[in-house]
Amino acid sequence: MHHILLDRWGQGASPLHRRDARAKIVALLVFLILLATTPGNAVAILITDAALLASAILIAGLPLRGVLLRAMVVLPFSLTFGLISWLAGEPARALALVEKSYLSTVAVLLLAGTTSLPLLLGGLERLGVPRLLVLVAQFLYRYLFVLSEQSRNMRLAAACREGGARAARGFRFRAATGALAVLFARSYNRAEGIHQAMQARGFSGRFSILHFQRFGALDAAFMLSVSAFLVLVRVG
Amino acid sequence: MTPLIEVRDLHFQYEDGTKALEGINFTLLPGETVALLGANGSGKTTFVLQLNGVLRGTGSITVCGLPLTKETLPQIRSKIGMVFQDSDEQLFMPTVLDDLTFGLLNQGVPEQEAIAKSKLALQQAGLAHVWNKAPYHLSAGEKRRVALAGVLVMEPEILVLDEPTTFLDPPAERDLLQLLSELPQAKLIVTHNVRLASALATRAVFFERGQLVASGSVDEIARRFGWNYADLPAADLRYSAQRRF
Repeated sequence: MHHILLDRWGQGASPLHRRDARAKIVALLVFLILLATTPGNAVAILITDAALLASAILIAGLPLRGVLLRAMVVLPFSLTFGLISWLAGEPARALALVEKSYLSTVAVLLLAGTTSLPLLLGGLERLGVPRLLVLVAQFLYRYLFVLSEQSRNMRLAAACREGGARAARGFRFRAATGALAVLFARSYNRAEGIHQAMQARGFSGRFSILHFQRFGALDAAFMLSVSAFLVLVRVG
Repeated sequence: MTPLIEVRDLHFQYEDGTKALEGINFTLLPGETVALLGANGSGKTTFVLQLNGVLRGTGSITVCGLPLTKETLPQIRSKIGMVFQDSDEQLFMPTVLDDLTFGLLNQGVPEQEAIAKSKLALQQAGLAHVWNKAPYHLSAGEKRRVALAGVLVMEPEILVLDEPTTFLDPPAERDLLQLLSELPQAKLIVTHNVRLASALATRAVFFERGQLVASGSVDEIARRFGWNYADLPAADLRYSAQRRF
């Protein structure tokens, strides 16, 4: 599971792991904005950005190959749009689109791999992201694992009753849609159960997230130096 | 002796029209542990969800002398600690510590105090080492104990446990039983597990089609309703299995 791996990465103790989540989120935002506005033909800037990310991954003690491979998850989407641009006669734009989306994904993975989810959510909340969005992300992350386990069990149960025979495609499609409906109904039931459990412990509509991190001088220095370096690379 | 819980003429119907509870009268006295026995769908869980206002029927419910109303709900919810059947539904926060502090922060306890109390509760449950873990990294037994700790940290006067031994292997079940037997609170235990009921409960009540039809000792109720399958001769079990399939 991807998110279990990210959890494990997030438990590290590198200098990057120790930085306050807010400093890393702001640095990531600066990186993404500058990357998005970098001209497609500015190869030197893109190479510098890639080198910066690779150095950060190594400093964080994350597996470089693992991060780069997992960032490929974005390629099916960006390659599709890249292909459209290529066919429209803009090969440079197509290449830039793929490069930028890939580097952006690496940067996001770097943040997720050096910040545990509770700290990341706490950081987002303190930076002013609406609490509702933070909560939705939290619940999605928490129950993704439970739901995926349920769907895996359903797949196994279906496979056990296949008896080695391959059913007609139409039947398999109907079975898959039925399983999806069951999964949805179960998720709905679970959501009701969670709400009841929350009510039973006095939930009155306001959620509290523990904030362990303090934004210190080192965090400010990290945030400002990374941002300044990125701006210098972009304009210089 | 003033009852901790007093329920009079409780009725409840689900939105689809299913009558889940019909005229329930029930009393829980201080120090009592009552096992709620009955078939699936007989109304046991629906009943306990009424006690802290998660579900609302008609009739009267008094908890620790407080009538259950919208105004008294926060007080009543701090007096009744409820451990749900599925720990995954109860442990919804990103880490164990976040989950334990959830109830305390809702009660208005300051953050640092909530953290200290929660860590102590985890220590008492023998799980001090899991405070920063995500709940899905825990075993079923650990989840159940964390769920219990999350309720105990709120210092409730009454504990309600819905099928506490579901998904537990025998060692985890034994550990939980030991932990529960040491807790001083009055308890309501929804269970099919007669062994658990016998070990912990001072009394049992039996639910049938939304009605509370009998009250007595665990042995008496289990025998009367054929609830203790260990008592059945093997031939009866074979007959029962043949009839079903």
